[in-house]
Amino acid sequence: MGLVTTAGLHVRGDKPFIADHKGGGDTSFRVIPRSVGANDIIQSHTSIGFDHTGIYRDINVTFPIDRLPELVDQGKIGSLSDNYYSFMGALRDVTGIIEDSGPEVARRLKAEGVDVVLLTPT
Amino acid sequence: MIARTFEEAGLTTTGIVLIEEHAQRVKPPRMLAVPFFFGNALGEADNPEYQHRVLQSTFDLLDRDQGPVLEQLPDDMIPDILMQGSETANESQEKGLNAADELTALRAYYEQWTKAHAGRTAVGLSAIPQRRFRGIIRFLEGYVNGEESDMKERPQDFTVPQFIRYCVDDLKAFYYEARMAQRPDGADREIHDWFWSDTAVGALLMALAQRMREDEDKEVQAVAYGIAR
Repeated sequence: MGLVTTAGLHVRGDKPFIADHKGGGDTSFRVIPRSVGANDIIQSHTSIGFDHTGIYRDINVTFPIDRLPELVDQGKIGSLSDNYYSFMGALRDVTGIIEDSGPEVARRLKAEGVDVVLLTPT
Repeated sequence: MIARTFEEAGLTTTGIVLIEEHAQRVKPPRMLAVPFFFGNALGEADNPEYQHRVLQSTFDLLDRDQGPVLEQLPDDMIPDILMQGSETANESQEKGLNAADELTALRAYYEQWTKAHAGRTAVGLSAIPQRRFRGIIRFLEGYVNGEESDMKERPQDFTVPQFIRYCVDDLKAFYYEARMAQRPDGADREIHDWFWSDTAVGALLMALAQRMREDEDKEVQAVAYGIAR
């Protein structure tokens, strides 16, 4: 199983998502290796018309990185991919995701042997 | 929409959606519509049992042969309504509070929070160490007053408006995490009320948003939009 979020998360020190005032938004993606802990994942979602308190308290409320391994331990999920992926949601123009970054992430997930993808929003 | 792109590439997807109307329009293959606010897709922070229930409902959709499948999470958890910055009156000026001193006074609580969470913090976007956040406050105060246009520590990868946005995110995360350490039993709403109504930094951010909204530069205006919501 792979995990993909549109919550604008990325590894601390990786390039933040940016507010693109000219176009429809940032359609790039970030790789979040499964080995990275919650301590090193931060959020640069350019829409802050939402409450961050939950994710400050517990990243699993948006990005269930601790819950999925628990499901593997319980035998409910076979295994997890080595990498998770992150996009930024709330985009005005999603062409870049449909044509470029989406297929690229799909290709990477398949190359890692993923067959099922869990999608979580902001 | 990403779901459909993935499915066309041969992957099977299931997911959570917060705005049911979007899913009705986009028609992704399998989505669980949940009644939570943005930022809380799995229901509640620090509640693994409940998060597992949401995940199980999401995975149950994989048993369906035909899509699109859009189901609602049956639930009686009613989310609390959170005010936006623009909806509140800030009383810090009447109380004579100073943003830089206020921040310094909260530092011990912030550090208590990170210590209690094995270093976990949402602070870090601006690339300015938290021990130098007084410098961010001085810069933002100068920017609001028209005395400053840039901060010399700004990473060159960021434009000034982007950097301001990341500074704001860092200040908010610092304050919220400090408050959660200070008041461990405080509800999310109480933290919002405190930040936007009582703190000098809350007042500074509202003044900053106003200053940026009035700027002629479209990028500055775009950043202003999100700052004090």
